[in-house]
Amino acid sequence: MSSQKINEQVLELKNQMDKGLLSRREFLRYAALLGVSLPVALRMVGLVASPKLQAAPVRRGGTIKVSSQVHKITHPAQISWLAPSNQCRHIAEYLTFTDSNNITHPYLLKNWEVSDDLKTWTLNLRQGIKFNNGDELTADDVVFTMNQWLNKDVGSSMLGLMSGYLDPTGIEKVSKYQIRLHLKRPEIAVPEHLFHYPAMILNHRTFEGDFIKKPHGTGPFVLAEYREGERCVLKARKDYWRKGSDGSPLPYLDGIEFLDMGAEMAPHIGALKTGEIHVIEASDMGGIDLYLSFKNDPNVTVHAVATAQTRVLRMRVDRKPWDDNRVRKALKLCQNREKILALAYYKQGLLGQDFHVYPKHPEYCPKPVPKYDPEKARQLLKEAGYPNGIEVNLAVGSDWADVVRYAEILKEDAAPAGFRINIQTMPASQYWEKWTEVDLGITPWTHRPLGTMVLNLAYVADDQGKPVPWNETRWVDKEFCDLVTQANGILNVEERRKVFCKIEDIMVERGPIGISYWRNTWLPARKVVQNITAHPTGYLVLTETWIAKKS
Amino acid sequence: MGDVSQLNEYEYIEGKERKSLLSKSLRPFALIFSSRTATVGFAIVSFWIIVSVFAPFLTPYSPTYQDWKAPNQGPSWNHPLGTDELGRDLWARLIYGARIVLVIFPVSSGLWLPGGTALWGVAMALLVGSTLGLISGYKGGWIDEIVMRLLDAMISIPVILLYLLLVAALGASAVNVVIAIAIVGAPGIARLVRGLTLDIKTRDYIRAAETRGESSLYIMFVEILPNTKGPIIIDAMLRVGYAVFAMGTLGFLGLGLPPPSPDWGSMVAKGREFILAGAPWAALWPSVAIASLVVGLNLLADGLREELTRYQ
Repeated sequence: MSSQKINEQVLELKNQMDKGLLSRREFLRYAALLGVSLPVALRMVGLVASPKLQAAPVRRGGTIKVSSQVHKITHPAQISWLAPSNQCRHIAEYLTFTDSNNITHPYLLKNWEVSDDLKTWTLNLRQGIKFNNGDELTADDVVFTMNQWLNKDVGSSMLGLMSGYLDPTGIEKVSKYQIRLHLKRPEIAVPEHLFHYPAMILNHRTFEGDFIKKPHGTGPFVLAEYREGERCVLKARKDYWRKGSDGSPLPYLDGIEFLDMGAEMAPHIGALKTGEIHVIEASDMGGIDLYLSFKNDPNVTVHAVATAQTRVLRMRVDRKPWDDNRVRKALKLCQNREKILALAYYKQGLLGQDFHVYPKHPEYCPKPVPKYDPEKARQLLKEAGYPNGIEVNLAVGSDWADVVRYAEILKEDAAPAGFRINIQTMPASQYWEKWTEVDLGITPWTHRPLGTMVLNLAYVADDQGKPVPWNETRWVDKEFCDLVTQANGILNVEERRKVFCKIEDIMVERGPIGISYWRNTWLPARKVVQNITAHPTGYLVLTETWIAKKS
Repeated sequence: MGDVSQLNEYEYIEGKERKSLLSKSLRPFALIFSSRTATVGFAIVSFWIIVSVFAPFLTPYSPTYQDWKAPNQGPSWNHPLGTDELGRDLWARLIYGARIVLVIFPVSSGLWLPGGTALWGVAMALLVGSTLGLISGYKGGWIDEIVMRLLDAMISIPVILLYLLLVAALGASAVNVVIAIAIVGAPGIARLVRGLTLDIKTRDYIRAAETRGESSLYIMFVEILPNTKGPIIIDAMLRVGYAVFAMGTLGFLGLGLPPPSPDWGSMVAKGREFILAGAPWAALWPSVAIASLVVGLNLLADGLREELTRYQ
């Protein structure tokens, strides 16, 4: 600890923890974000880092079979689905790694340092890491990749996440292994953003826009075969930079086969039950059927995790009738949340409150769950000029069973208020083609560890005042944007929570979305699969996974 | 006296006419009941028609009523076939689903037409296919060539793929399902009618009509079409079965009637999510319904065809 320079903010955090204002876990998370290594942070909270306990000895070899979906991949920065990111993340890697406890660690980075004003971040790369084509990883690769993220022509979701605080001109290569980011405004979540799923580091010497043609990354596996809609086969590298617990280079597995079993869960479930596959990588399509099918299966372990994954009832505020806040509020009041959670997701989650902040986000400000009130909704519709009710179309992807159920329940419960909802089902792929364009729809949103991450991604404007690319509702509220900007730079959790109280109130009062529930997710795996955990973001990392001998 | 005898004569003639009308209307039933196959088919189809017509009297539940305390229940006194994933009564959804197939055509949320969606689809296919077949067969020459080659091209596309293309392009709704059934069914009917027309147009009474100077339209629709009705009726009956199956397929693939319509195909699709979780009912009953209705229609058509062939 003495050899590590401790940011003043960390001492302030320690002070807060000592006063009981911050939990140990939150302290660990923020200390890690501020560049304190995990062993040092653990000692600060009075704990000692213990070596990882393993239930069974490591066994090398074997190929793990994962049921998934194999989509078209070109530019990793453009990835907007979990499944392709879970395939690519074994080939290319990230600068940081956020574990399943939401604590972010350095990964390709050796460490990072942040200025007291949270506006200057110095990233120090590990030395000696090689891409799978033999090129060395240097600061040039990081600068190149970050410029890809911030290039509007690329259209990466990283742009919405980072452009509010970082311009291409703010990326400075200091040396071969050091990069400095000069932010436009303070931002605490930079290390977590660096683990956002499109943020894989590319080889600047060889990348020409199509990753499948030149799949050069620093990851533990290389691409052996990629057939869209069929399979993605990965083979282990022999010279990977990380070592396993047996002292030899990782990974323990010889290879991974991702098999495209379609968007329906039944084939995936059947294949796992019969042992044809080892793991179901359900990502965007996994639903309650996973839990119900395997909860009593003696051959399968259902790794569960509570997440900020949700289904967002989103309204385009630049189109009638959703430009009228009274109509938006009316529809939100028609959500019978307990019923929706019970029927759409079999009570496996938490109730939502019409703002995109998860109850387990550190900055969450507790608010009451709004009640189902069709009478008030009818009154609001009347005031908005719809005394006889209103007919609206609700677009949903038919592949997401809980979304369809959500829509059906909403249709039934919104009818007494005067909403005549026509549910328009379409394949999920078709929904994704127009998810930002439909007037009213239910969009699946994945887990993000910090409250500000998704707000920056989907509910703010860019520097020109235009909605960021993933702002599917086109809702731009000056006061809200200012508060989000303010929250981005506040480290003190209590202070941050105060801002979030206002943010949440604004979203409830005039926001463009309804959120009925937050989903638990599951990663079902055969019992022979060892050292595998469910990640709240749905990330699948098999670098340290092995297959035990069958008993 | 003469008046009385005259009256008796009138009564006799009227009674004879009434009797012939009665026997005329009973003739198809006599035909059905003379075949065991057709009788079984008729019984199955009648069952579905009767339960769909009297659906409101056969269940206290609305097909969309959600009992959120009782999802995925097995059969019980309250719910004879169990409930689906939203706690909706499966018997109610099944018989209201039959209404959509056989009795009612939901044009929009507020407009319903009598006659089921499958029947409307087949009727439209008959209208288009018969017209094209008549024109093609009667006119012959380059008109026949063009029409038949176009229809051949359509027939060469796999049926399921054609359904998917049409409904994906038009959007999922009852009207678009009818249009898809009509477009997919029309080429087959056209080929059948053309074949019959080629045969009938060589008959003497057609020559006589032409000699009388009747128009082509008159000859096609008044002289030829009525004489093709036997095979067309049998074919139509089979096509209603195909249409039921098509509706089920489209619903299963999420391209049928939009939720929460009690569409049998979408009921299977939603219910199958819970088969492996130990609740097979929601998928089982609509599958049985689709299978039984299609089999019933096929048996009826086969039986009738056999009887008609024997009769001829």
